[in-house]
Amino acid sequence: MSTELPFLVELLVSALILAGAGFAVIGALGLARMPDFYMRVHLPTAGTTLGVGCTLSASVIYFSFSLQTLSVHEFLISMFLFITAPVSSHMMAKVALHTGVKFVDHTQGRPWPSRTQRPSRDNSQILSDWQTRDRKETE
Amino acid sequence: MLLALIILLPFIGVLLPVWFHRHGRTACAWATALPPALGLVLLFSQAPAVLAGEVRRFSLNWIPELGLNLAFRLDGLSFLFCLLILAIGLLVILYGRYYLSSDDPMGKFFALLLLFMGAMLGVVTANNLLLLVLFWEATSLSSFLLISYWNGRSDARRGARMALTVTGAGGLAMLAGVLLLGHVVGSFDLDVVLASGELIREHAWYPVILVLILLGIFTKSAQFPFHFWLPHAMSAPTPVSSYLHSATMVKAGVFLLARLYPALSGTELWFILVSMVGLITMTLGAVTALFKHDLKGLLAYSTISHLGLVTLLFGLDTRLAVVAALFHIMNHATFKASLFMAVGIVDHETGTRDMRLLSGLRKYMPMTAMLGLIAAGAMAGVPLLNGFLSTEMFLGEAVAQRVLGGWSWVIPVVAVFAKVFSVAYSIRFIHSVFYGPSQPEALPKPPHEAPFFMRAPILILVGLCLLVGIVPNLIIGPLLAAAATTTLASPLPYYSLAIWHGWNLPLLMSMVAMVLGTVAYLNFARLLRLWERLPAVNAMDAFENFVHDVVIVRARQVTGRLENGSLQHYLSLLILGTVVVAASGLWGLERLNGGVPLSALDPPSVAIALIMMVTAIYSAIWHHERIAALMFLSVVGLGMALIFARFSAPDLALTQLSVEIVTIVLLMLILFLLPPRSPNDSTYAHVVRDGLVATSAGIGVGVLAYTVLTRPQQTISDYFIQNSVTGGGGTNVVNVILVDFRGFDTFGEITVMAIAAIGIFGLLDGMRLFDPKKDPNVQWASDKYPLLLLILNMPVLPLALMVAVYIFLRGHNMPGGGFIAGLIVAIALILQYLANGLRWSNNRMQWDYHPLVGAGVLLAGLTGLGSWSFGAPFLTSAHDHFHIPLLGEIELATAMLFDIGVFLAVVGATLLILANLGKLKSLDTASEENR
Repeated sequence: MSTELPFLVELLVSALILAGAGFAVIGALGLARMPDFYMRVHLPTAGTTLGVGCTLSASVIYFSFSLQTLSVHEFLISMFLFITAPVSSHMMAKVALHTGVKFVDHTQGRPWPSRTQRPSRDNSQILSDWQTRDRKETE
Repeated sequence: MLLALIILLPFIGVLLPVWFHRHGRTACAWATALPPALGLVLLFSQAPAVLAGEVRRFSLNWIPELGLNLAFRLDGLSFLFCLLILAIGLLVILYGRYYLSSDDPMGKFFALLLLFMGAMLGVVTANNLLLLVLFWEATSLSSFLLISYWNGRSDARRGARMALTVTGAGGLAMLAGVLLLGHVVGSFDLDVVLASGELIREHAWYPVILVLILLGIFTKSAQFPFHFWLPHAMSAPTPVSSYLHSATMVKAGVFLLARLYPALSGTELWFILVSMVGLITMTLGAVTALFKHDLKGLLAYSTISHLGLVTLLFGLDTRLAVVAALFHIMNHATFKASLFMAVGIVDHETGTRDMRLLSGLRKYMPMTAMLGLIAAGAMAGVPLLNGFLSTEMFLGEAVAQRVLGGWSWVIPVVAVFAKVFSVAYSIRFIHSVFYGPSQPEALPKPPHEAPFFMRAPILILVGLCLLVGIVPNLIIGPLLAAAATTTLASPLPYYSLAIWHGWNLPLLMSMVAMVLGTVAYLNFARLLRLWERLPAVNAMDAFENFVHDVVIVRARQVTGRLENGSLQHYLSLLILGTVVVAASGLWGLERLNGGVPLSALDPPSVAIALIMMVTAIYSAIWHHERIAALMFLSVVGLGMALIFARFSAPDLALTQLSVEIVTIVLLMLILFLLPPRSPNDSTYAHVVRDGLVATSAGIGVGVLAYTVLTRPQQTISDYFIQNSVTGGGGTNVVNVILVDFRGFDTFGEITVMAIAAIGIFGLLDGMRLFDPKKDPNVQWASDKYPLLLLILNMPVLPLALMVAVYIFLRGHNMPGGGFIAGLIVAIALILQYLANGLRWSNNRMQWDYHPLVGAGVLLAGLTGLGSWSFGAPFLTSAHDHFHIPLLGEIELATAMLFDIGVFLAVVGATLLILANLGKLKSLDTASEENR
């Protein structure tokens, strides 16, 4: 099992693991530090896709060399993650928009254009916020 | 065998009347008469032996472990009763043919009659106490059905219910008594029981046994204070009253008195109980009978009175009393059955049974009047009729007994008193119906004589009354002697069945009663006024109030206290119960620590444990915010999966993970139907109570785990690990245990799961709920199925299916197996439902999940049964290596087939529940779907 690996391979594996860990830390920190939900939603996704992706790549390389056969089942894991993580982020953001989760001023982007006949109080509040800001920007 | 055939014939023939019903009423009656007629022939073929004192036995093992055998005996006593049942049964069939109108379902009537006949024959011939109780209950049930034969009438239904309740309750008491009796004797075999009279009477339980069995007897034979059901059973058709409620079924009680006489009688308790109950019943019945205006009511109370007389005789301390009792049973059966039939004719031809309307019918039905006169004479005890003989014997014994010591003279005095009333109501019965001025215009129907064949049974019975009354020894002597010998279980005392015994005290008493009875009838109007001044008790109402009070009010109170509709209450009771049970087990331990050293704490486990604790606490704190609480709860579940993985249980971890996901989906579906916040309606006291319950349960589980895990013990896991490959053909011990070693458990579990799923489906199907109130402040998305989810969801299905196949195939040797694979497939399919909606998914998955569940259970079961064809026990697994081209060497076990069954059952059950929960919708969502 523990055959000596070429230095370059070891270096690459280590770098990937570190990078994966780095993304995970960034994701966790971001989750704790970001001021509103819309910003927070990005970072764990980065952690699960990029962080886990790097770690899995490291695993592929390491086991392919140490076991002398191509190890690919890690790709299955990343495939699942790549499919599911963006979907869940997307769905969470969507729900947040619809339920009118509060945001801080410098969050970028536009809300859903309102198609309801009877905009709710919170939502109209949010919408008027956006409108006033738009007006400010045009002015 | 012949013997068993006598009892079984009516049961075998039960369907005959139903078949022959379409061929007309006469054919139906003939077909019905066949089994009892054959039975009678068979019975007579046994007569010489039985009358000579032999006992014929038949025995067949039924459930020997319980002491229940199909054992019959034919001795003098059972011969006598068999004769009554079969012969009167035949006459009643003939009578019933003409009594029932063409609108009545005759097939049903005769089938029930045969059922009763078989049950009654079983009672009198059973040679095993348990078998006897079984037939005893069967007579109660068939009597219930026969009383309620005209089930459109409310009085019939109420009367039937009352009879069943009273006799059924008595039957339960008797069962208890019989069980105790069998325990004392060590056998339910009647031969053994009858031979161990000494043992029983000296046993400490004797009073209990006696009282319980007497309860059964007294309820069945309508003895005071249980007599009230019999008059209400008179709402049955008259053939039934004549057969069941005078000649046979009500005699079952006194039959049992005779049957168990050698085993139970002979003690002070027996004499006092039996004679007092008999005395009271006899007097009460005779007095009440005189004042009943309904003919059948009069006869019913008269029957009660005569049954009381028989009971009294069994309770007297002279041996001759038993002979008199048996004699009177026979006589009463003949004259009372014929009187009931006569009443049936009167009722049938005039449309009423009210003695205040009936009068002077002698003109219109002279034959019936004549027969009724003779039968009533027998009832009153007129000389030259059979009733006279047994009454004389009864009075003789009443004088001779010494049951009450110095007060023994009370019994003959009361007996004469009852006799006076008996004479009076007999006169009233005849005089008010058949004599006096005729006033046909007062009757509902123009009176006329009944057809000959309707009168024929009465003619035969009345003829018997006369023959027995005139030449008793010739007709009945040997039979009575045989029956009495069996009952007394010893040589008979001297008696003579002569008409003339010379001038003696009993004859004097009879004459006094005759005279006083006539005087009483002459002053009937005055007596009636006295009677009507007594407070009237309606037994039916009293009984129904009692039942209502016990069953409805009291039972609901108890149930209401236990099941108050609060889930918290149920849960706390359940958990507290468990805590108490577990704590009482732990109480006996000297110390909790069993000596096995604890393993060191490691940071990952501690971290997981802490996370689980914190989230568990938070889920409790946040329980008002349902979604948040659910999230916390799912963290606990995931932590559990991690713990399993940490402690080398990958199978469990996988299972836990998939179960967790299914659970969350399930709860989300339900949460959709609930308001997002639950109102705060628990009081402070409730919070404290629930907190205490939860804490004690938590501490209890912790202590239990600690106690068990620190104890060195030999588990069977070593055995499983060693035998997994050789015995089950797989290296994954967990899976081998599931599908092989403990395959039967798994089979049971998937069956339960399938039942639960179908039960849930049954509850949900067609259920309509209100949509949850939508928060008006929320702007709902216009796309019901978001594009991103919809598109990206598609590749997940094949991937998930692939994983499931992989997990399934490797299950026998590596972590995995049918259960987990099934859950994964179920989750993948549920995801399709969630992403694409019901309509889209249903269009693509056009199958029901019920057959899937069934197929799974069936496949697992068939795999198990398959091992039978190799002579191995259920669910024995076979496994071998196979060489398959392309794939190479492969090991296949029949357990794999079983696992497929598990897989199918899991997929089917999960989807059946989830898909139907998802379908749950209110009318407005439904209309949206159809848009």
